Amino acid sequence: MKAVLSSGGLKRYVISDHHRSRDRQPARSTRTLFRTRETDTCMSVLASEWLKVRSIRSTYLIIGLSLGAILLGLALATTATGMYDSAPPERRPHARIADLEEVLVIVPQLCVGILGALAITSEYVTGLIRTTLTLVPRRWPVLAAKATIVGILGLLVGLATVFGTYAVSRGVIGDRFSGAYSTAFLDKLPLLTALSFTVPVFALLGLGLGALLRSTAGAIAILAGLVYVIPMIIGNIPEPWSERLGSLMIGGLPRQIAGHSNASSVYGSLLQPAAAAAVLAAYALLPLLAGLWLLRRRDV
Amino acid sequence: MVRRAGGPPRRILYGVIELRRLTKRYGNTLAVDGLSFTVEPGHVTGFLGPNGAGKSTTMRLILGLDAPTSGDALVNGRRYTSLSEPMRQAGALLDAGAVHGGRSAYNHLLSLALTNGLGTIRVAEVLELVGLTDVARKRVSGFSLGMKQRLGIAAALLGDPGVLMFDEPVNGLDPDGVRWIRGLMRSLAAEGRTILLSSHLMSEMALTAERLVIIGRGKLIAEATVAELTTRYPSLEDAYLALTADSMRYEASR
Repeated sequence: MKAVLSSGGLKRYVISDHHRSRDRQPARSTRTLFRTRETDTCMSVLASEWLKVRSIRSTYLIIGLSLGAILLGLALATTATGMYDSAPPERRPHARIADLEEVLVIVPQLCVGILGALAITSEYVTGLIRTTLTLVPRRWPVLAAKATIVGILGLLVGLATVFGTYAVSRGVIGDRFSGAYSTAFLDKLPLLTALSFTVPVFALLGLGLGALLRSTAGAIAILAGLVYVIPMIIGNIPEPWSERLGSLMIGGLPRQIAGHSNASSVYGSLLQPAAAAAVLAAYALLPLLAGLWLLRRRDV
Repeated sequence: MVRRAGGPPRRILYGVIELRRLTKRYGNTLAVDGLSFTVEPGHVTGFLGPNGAGKSTTMRLILGLDAPTSGDALVNGRRYTSLSEPMRQAGALLDAGAVHGGRSAYNHLLSLALTNGLGTIRVAEVLELVGLTDVARKRVSGFSLGMKQRLGIAAALLGDPGVLMFDEPVNGLDPDGVRWIRGLMRSLAAEGRTILLSSHLMSEMALTAERLVIIGRGKLIAEATVAELTTRYPSLEDAYLALTADSMRYEASR
């Protein structure tokens, strides 16, 4: 008897006893029922997290700021067009313009990264996380639901801003700048799609960092560092490391995924499209999985 | 809204909290030290101890927020973390300030309710119960501490659970609010619920609780009815001070 008590057997006895005494608890052996209950939990938590996201103002502010990239693109394209048109005709063939959607994707990237971080750090700051994890003691559905929501929001914002900026720029610039914006849309599609997908990656990266660090400032600092600071450092280290590490930076991945070169930037071009896509996915998933691992183990 | 098939919500009104040699160590500190007691239905159990005695830690351990170093905390015979819809079995108010100030009271409660498959009707009911219906659509950042305590109590009651835990719920309340909570606690207990109420206000305990669990330095000091203590000592306050004298001295000498 004593052996049973001390070996933890008692716990199991108590649990199974309660299973028997409650008719609505599905038996452990019926796996399908068990799965249905899991799905129920996930859908319930998803509904809760979706309400949380849409019931605070900062969400709308952040999405609004992200979409502001399109207006910024319009302003830049209009300015560039004005300069091009006022330049003497013989100098026009030498005029170049950066791909505006590629430059401006930083705006939704950072905004949505902050949205992802806030999705969890705001709960740590207020202490709401304790209530949340009390209601969902298995914890992982909470982070999974947050990831689903900020991931989907990020993708929608990414597609809207990247394709919106491209459309606006193309409309304003026309065939100026040696036809930079008059290439066939279908040729541009892979790069635009890859660029769009970096935005949800930032959302998940922000969420993962937020879950790991439990600090809004810490998560945002790392996000900004990944976009601005680290690429600059890597651009200035000796070859071949500059090229090697430059190929792994988020900013250099969309062109590698689309099969283009990063020749004119600090980024490298060593990765095959599939490898570049895998690296992009790793940016989203590794911090998130590490955050999940800690969330399940840490005292709150 | 999100409600699965399978009949009405399960309700276990007659709950029980059992601690068995519950221990929690943070580094070198034993916050909870081999604590064993049972909280039973039908009356308010006061949970007393000096600041830092381990009351809040014990509650976090019961709710599975912190993992015990050893021992067990069971709610209705099971570890809290193994409950699938815990809201329907246990509710807790740990910290009334733990709300996002930008969210309305209604959306706050609904977001909590949805996790356990509860919906808008129940949210409206608990808002009515705690008297926040008129301010339900206001952002919580504008709430006074007393209103936040009411909101926290509403959250604990959402699942209509048999087991309820409140950590210092009368802090920051005006006399009106204190009296309201006292009445609420007693009526919830009279319905057959199990209520664990932590406080360091002796006078409040004398009026609300029937049984007391007193801890100090994470250890159980006394488990008795209020009546037992008031017959052995001149007053409940004298009883408390005599019983916790050792742990007080310890705190002062640190």
